[in-house]
Parts: sequence; structure tokens; C-alpha cells
Amino acid sequence: MAEILTPKRLTIKVCVGLAVLAMVMCLCALVGTQKISLERVFVGPGNEPGQNTDYEIFVGVRLPRVILAAIVGAALASCGVVLQAILRNPLADPYILGISSGAGLGAIIAVLSGLTWNFWGGSPIAVFAFAGALITVWLVWCIGRLTGKAQVTSLLLAGVVVNAFFSAVIMFLTAIAKSEQVFSTIFWLMGNITEKDPLVLWVGAACILTGICGLFGICHNLNVLTFGEEQAKGLGVDTEKTRIVAFGLAAFITAIAVSLSGLVGFVGLIVPHGVRLVFGPDHRQLLPISAVIGGAFLVAADTIARIVVAPAQLPVGVITAIAGGPFFLLLLAKYTRKVGWLK
Amino acid sequence: MKKFWLIFIVLIGLLSCIYYFASKSPHKLQTTNYPPTRIVSLAPDLTEILFALGLGERIVAVSNDSDYPSETAEKQKVGTFWQPNIEAIIASKPDLVVTLSFEQQKAVADTLNKLRYPVLTLKLEKINQLLAAIQEIGAATASQQRAAELVKDITDRIADLKSKFASADKVRVLWVVQVEPLRVAAPNTFINELLELAGGENVVGPAIGQYPSVGSEEILACGVEVIIQSSMDTNSIAEQQQAAQLYWSRWPNLPAVKNNRIYVIEPDTILRLGPRLPQGIELIGCCLHPDMFTQIHDVKQ
Amino acid sequence: MRGIIEVENLSFGYYDKTILKNLNFKVMQGTFLAVAGPNGAGKTTLLNLLCGLLKPKNGSIDIDGANVESYSVRELAQKVAIVRQEFVPVFDFTVTEVVSMARTPYLGILGFEGPADKKHISEALEMTDTAQFASRPLANLSAGERQRVFIARALAQDTAILLLDEPTTFLDLKHQVGIYDLLKRMQREYSRTIVAVTHDINLTIQYCDETLLLGGDSSYRYGSATDIFSSQQIEKTFGVRTFEGTVGKQRFFLPIGKFAKANQITNGKS
Repeated sequence: MAEILTPKRLTIKVCVGLAVLAMVMCLCALVGTQKISLERVFVGPGNEPGQNTDYEIFVGVRLPRVILAAIVGAALASCGVVLQAILRNPLADPYILGISSGAGLGAIIAVLSGLTWNFWGGSPIAVFAFAGALITVWLVWCIGRLTGKAQVTSLLLAGVVVNAFFSAVIMFLTAIAKSEQVFSTIFWLMGNITEKDPLVLWVGAACILTGICGLFGICHNLNVLTFGEEQAKGLGVDTEKTRIVAFGLAAFITAIAVSLSGLVGFVGLIVPHGVRLVFGPDHRQLLPISAVIGGAFLVAADTIARIVVAPAQLPVGVITAIAGGPFFLLLLAKYTRKVGWLK
Repeated sequence: MKKFWLIFIVLIGLLSCIYYFASKSPHKLQTTNYPPTRIVSLAPDLTEILFALGLGERIVAVSNDSDYPSETAEKQKVGTFWQPNIEAIIASKPDLVVTLSFEQQKAVADTLNKLRYPVLTLKLEKINQLLAAIQEIGAATASQQRAAELVKDITDRIADLKSKFASADKVRVLWVVQVEPLRVAAPNTFINELLELAGGENVVGPAIGQYPSVGSEEILACGVEVIIQSSMDTNSIAEQQQAAQLYWSRWPNLPAVKNNRIYVIEPDTILRLGPRLPQGIELIGCCLHPDMFTQIHDVKQ
Repeated sequence: MRGIIEVENLSFGYYDKTILKNLNFKVMQGTFLAVAGPNGAGKTTLLNLLCGLLKPKNGSIDIDGANVESYSVRELAQKVAIVRQEFVPVFDFTVTEVVSMARTPYLGILGFEGPADKKHISEALEMTDTAQFASRPLANLSAGERQRVFIARALAQDTAILLLDEPTTFLDLKHQVGIYDLLKRMQREYSRTIVAVTHDINLTIQYCDETLLLGGDSSYRYGSATDIFSSQQIEKTFGVRTFEGTVGKQRFFLPIGKFAKANQITNGKS
């Protein structure tokens, strides 16, 4: 019975993953448009700005970016795992239930309103995007419940409808906005990792980590839920509660990720698939490992985005798409023998 | 179960260590260097102002698109107007960074502020803001006198041009920023301010947005006498001029088309709200009232 | 571990169509009950009612003395296990992982199996002769092998009551008989109550103690297999003529269709 997952095996795998993540983060923090050396960084900051630029670049510019990329990547990958399980659809990603258009709408409203106050270090765009994302998910949930007993299908349809409608509103607002506001919004919508306040990063990381731990608690139920509602009930799973917890936490985590970095695509869709191809579909394992790999993936992608067309920067979403696609095909080719139903 | 809590706590511990390390204030005193001797400019108009104030030698780095005056070619570059490269900025060890106030540059300014670099943020969207900006830069760089002189010079020249053009009839003008789809400058832009100073009258009425797109119907009925297009792609001005004439020939009833008063110009002196503004106004005036110019100015046509 | 099912005045239907009407029967602990009837008679519906998935229009179902609806989903899953027909694979779980899911009603908050759970899982795999596929993805197996895996899952769930919806549909002869032997063993050695929907009349007579025959017109008959089945009853309920024979004290029925070879021989004889 070599197959059964034990806490010990899982812990080992997760620790190895975390070590890999830490290594990737450190390596990427040393890479950038300016050459810096690690020894100079350890000398410490000077009394005045400009004395130890290596330290300032490493700690003030690169480290926040790398940490942000890690937590956003982890958030998106975990949500992708959960939503693919709940919706029993391998094409689900964290934005499927209207989060992307809701957050975008929030963002553009914030830009148009021209507000400038700060909320716990979060700019108006971040706060409005977060609110927009959550409100939209709630709206989709309500519409889904109203319109159908076949929960999963009606939720997906409601998500599509809401996405379409809000995208239209975004287009309208974009057309009447001032040009620099438009540019700002589009830039934000493409997803980008920037340097953030430590407080913001702290709050964001705490929320996301808590959310991921919460999602871990329902992972064994998710396994069963992928067999369908009836079968899950027959095996003692409270499907309603599991679904609510899953959606609520996934929406919350994604909303936080989106408010921090805009809409970074591809991570939530392919990282779960990649990890599933290598480690199998047991969600108790899939979720933590996807979170770690998602973080590492986005850190690497962001580093490439920073340096490939220096001194300009590409939006990180471009790199995730370009790099993710072929990488995924490679994985698919290598591990197809493990997956019977693809034959 | 216990193992998970252990991992969770270790993770939180790691995060807090990193954060403590990172948010430790790196500077104990704020010793600002005054006057600043290592200035970084993040926008071409700011660069022009700094050079006009005679601070050229104190500038250590400029944005990629700062191309005037020619001394900028030798300066270090720190990224574009839209995406300043913060690492390059820090690496040039500035003691004053001058930025504009829109979103992307504001984010960079915030980060630099946290690292205790002195940052001067300016809003540069109207002519009076230009004059205020020059004075602020003067105050920040201990060149208040030069700044006052520059302000007076610009104000005088503008007043001169204004009175000169005021004597002629108002010319109906259309300023085009983009051709496909057609987008024009509306009255609530500073381009409009310049057009009016040069004795022109914008045929576009109040509209939503600053650069709205207009339909053929509007154009048909507008009776515009002069069409000015800012150079929008990398083709030469002559090529663009030909393309423009071809494009506008579909409205042959417009006075501008009938009299062939369609001009394509380099917008650097105009769209850049900087010390060369009077030249820009003069350039526009040249297009609108060519008969007022006995000397042949080089309008780069 | 008890496993008593009491059905009182059960009625169920969709919109205006009544499928089950005033059903009354009691299944004692350790009984092997067969549910038979033509397609659409409500056999699967009855199983769904028994496991709490559907709610009756009228009447009540009691499991071990308490109403089905009074149990939480988890408690009910510890008492009743159901093996269904549908299989919609989305992700490729291995056989062991699928059978492990049976222990879900017993797992703690983090959802890891303990040694007792592992014991049930390996026993279930042994009993259904599926241990050889333990590491293979479920989707790689044939329909029959998959069915045995689902039966293994129900066994691993370690419940007093087992509901099976046509458990031998895709199985070859060896495994058809094997499953029935296994179910009989569960009944005899472990006192499980087994309710199986089945189309095979002969196996029913051989193995089952009681039979619930749903007529298809909301009528029903409940009794021992030998009492219920006769050529007339089969012809009335299923519309098929049968040849009745005996092996020792047990009767068997050979269905004779219009073009069956046996029809020419026994022409005239019913």
C-alpha cells in the first residue's frame, strides 16, 4: 500500500518545496538590471542614502518584489487547484467567477475617481479592486443559486455573464476616461509586480497564508467532491459547506492577490495542472505543493520580465503566458503515460 | 497536525525576520545635501527645465526620452517616462530626484521616499503649472534667481506672441493626435491653451475626455481652416505629410483641405511643457497665420 | 452495528407522475434484499430515498430507529454505503486513492487515514480481487474492474447497510458470482444488511433472502424470492415468457424470447 499519503510524507515534500522556493527567491533577488554583490549587501545600510546602493537595491527594491511575487503566485495557484476541483473543470482558473472583471471595474473606478488616500498602506486601486472582486463573486453566487439546482453549471454560466457585462462597463469607462488614466488602468490590468510597502506585504501575506491553510482543511473533501455531488454525499461529505468554504476562501485570497498585483494570468490555470501531472490529484498534496510551485514560478517569471527588455519592464503576465505554455506541453508529453484518460 | 502548526510558525517566523531586516530604517539622520549636486530627472520636460536653469553639470541621469539639449546624450539613462527603472536610479546615487505626478512615476517616488531619497514631485499639465514648477525646482536646487529670470523670460515671450497674434482674425483650427481612429484635442487640454494663445479657435467644442474620437459627421460640419497633426510615427515628416493630405482629401469641402492648410509637425516643443514653450506657440502661430511671418522659419515641414 | 431499515407508507414521484406509492416494508438486520422490476419502476429512486439523497413526498424511512433525515450527512455515511452506476472521471485518482475515500466519514479535520482506516482499505481491496490494480489510475481499468473498485469502496466504508445499484452489470461470469458470494459472506459473517438492485432473477433466487418486486405501476410485492417469482409473475411484470425448471429445491427461470432457439422446442408449453 505504498500509495497512501501520510502526514510525514507530505511534510517532507512541502519542506523540500519550500526550500526550493527560498532558493529561487534568493537567486532572483540577486538578478536585475544593476549588478549587485551579496557581500556588499551584508555590509548593511549606510547612514545616508547612497552609501550602500547594493543594500538599498537588494532590500528596498528587489526583496519586496520577490516576496510579493511569491505570495501572489502561491495565492493564484492554490485558488486554481480549489476551483478546478469544485467546478470539476480542468479549465477553471481563479478568475472564472467574475473576479477578473469585478476587480478591473473596481480599479478603473478608483482611477477615475482620482482618490488618493491610503488604507493600511494600500492604494485606492488596491482597495477598490479587492472590493470589486468580492462583490462580484457574491453577485455570481447569488445568481447561481437563483437560477439552478445544478449548482456547478449555473455558477459557471453566471460567472460568464457577469464577466461579459462588467467587461462592457470597463470598456465604456475606458473610452471616456482621460488618456493617462486609461493607460494606468490597462497597465494595472495586465498584471505587474511592483515594490510595495512592508506593511501591505505583511497584511497580504498573512491573509493569503491563512486562506491557504483554511483551504487545506477541506482538501480531503475536495478529493471526494470531484466524483460528483451525489457520490460525495454518499461518502459523508457536507457538500454545501465544503463549497461555501472553498468559494469564500478562494475568492478572498484571489481578491487580495489581485489587489496587490493586478490580473496575472496563467499561473492559476497551469501550475495546478503541472503539479497534478507529476504528483497526482490528491488535493491534500496538490494544494500545498501547487502553492509553493506557483510562488516559485511567478518569482522566476517576474525576474525574467524585469531583465529581458531592460531598462523597460514587461508585464509579468506576458512572461507567464509565454513560458507557461510550452513548459506545460513538455510536462504533458513526458507524463502522459501516467494519465490514462488522455489516450 | 502538530507538524503543520510547526511549519506555519516557522514560516511566519521567517517572514518576520525578512521584514524586520527590510523595514529597518536604513538611515539614522536625514542629512539632505543642499544644494543637491547629483540630480536625476525622470521626464524630458523636467530635463529641459533643469538645463535651462544652468544645472546641466549637476545632472547625473535622465530618462531615456530626454533628448534636448544635446548634452543629454552623455548622461546615464534610467528607464522610460512610463517605466522608470528604480534600480538604475538608485545606482546613480542621486541626492535629488525630480519626477512628474502621474501614477507610475508616483509609485517610483513613493519607493524612493521610503529609502529616504529626496524626491521632488511636480504636476505639469498647464502653463501656469509650468511656471510654478520652474520656481519649485529653483527653490530645491538653490537657483531661485535663475528660476525667476526664466519664468519672466517665458512669461514675457508668451505675452508678446499673444498680443501679436491677437491682432489677426481667429483661425478655426483642429489639432489631431491620432488618425486611426480619428482623435482630436478637446478644449480642456493645454494644447487648447496654446492654440488660443496663437490666435486659433478650436473647432471641437466641450467634450467628454481630453482626446475624444470624433466621427465623420462632426468633421464634415466643422468648417476648419487649419488642420495640425502631431507627428505620430517614425516615418519622416515628408512621408507623413503626404499620408495626411491623402487622408484628409475625403472631406474636400473643408476650407483646410481646399486651401491645402494641413501641417504635420514635430510636437516636442509643444507637447513638452517646458522652457521651449514659446517656440512651440510660435510654431503653431506660423501654421495659423503664415502671412505674419516675413522671415522663413524652419517649421520642419 | 445494527442495520434495520423500516419504510412506512412511502410515496414518491416527480411533478404529477407517481413512481412509488404507499410502500411498506421492514428489512431486519443481516438480510439480503433484492430489488427487482422493469426499467423505470423506481428501483434507483428507492435506493436514493434510502440513502437520504431524495426526500419522500409522503411517509418516512427509518434507519436503526431514527428517521433518515435526522442524521447528518457524516453520520448517515457511517451507516449506509451506496454503490452507484455512473462514473464521470475528471481527475485520475488511483484505485487505492478511490477506495481510501470511503474512510472520509471517519477522518479527522486534516483528513489523513490512520492504521484502522488502512486496514479496512486493504481488506476491501483483497475481498474484491482488486489489490492487483492498487496503483493504477481508475480510468485505465475496464468497466468491470472499475465496478469492483466501487464495491471495494463501499466495503471499506464499513457500514451496517450496503445499497448496490446493479452491481454486476459489467462483470464477467466469474466476477458476477464472485461478487454475490462476497455479498453473501458479508451478510453471514459480518451481519451486514444488503439491498441490491438486480436484473438477474436466478442469482436473486440463489442468494437473496427477500425480494421487493416493483411493478412499474407503483404496485409492489414484498416477500421471499421463492414466493414472489413465478412464471406468471415474471410474465406479468416483465412481459417475458420463461421456462421454469428446478435444481434440487431451487427453481430457475430461463427467459424465452420470440426468436430464441428454445422457443421452437417448448412451443406451446409455458
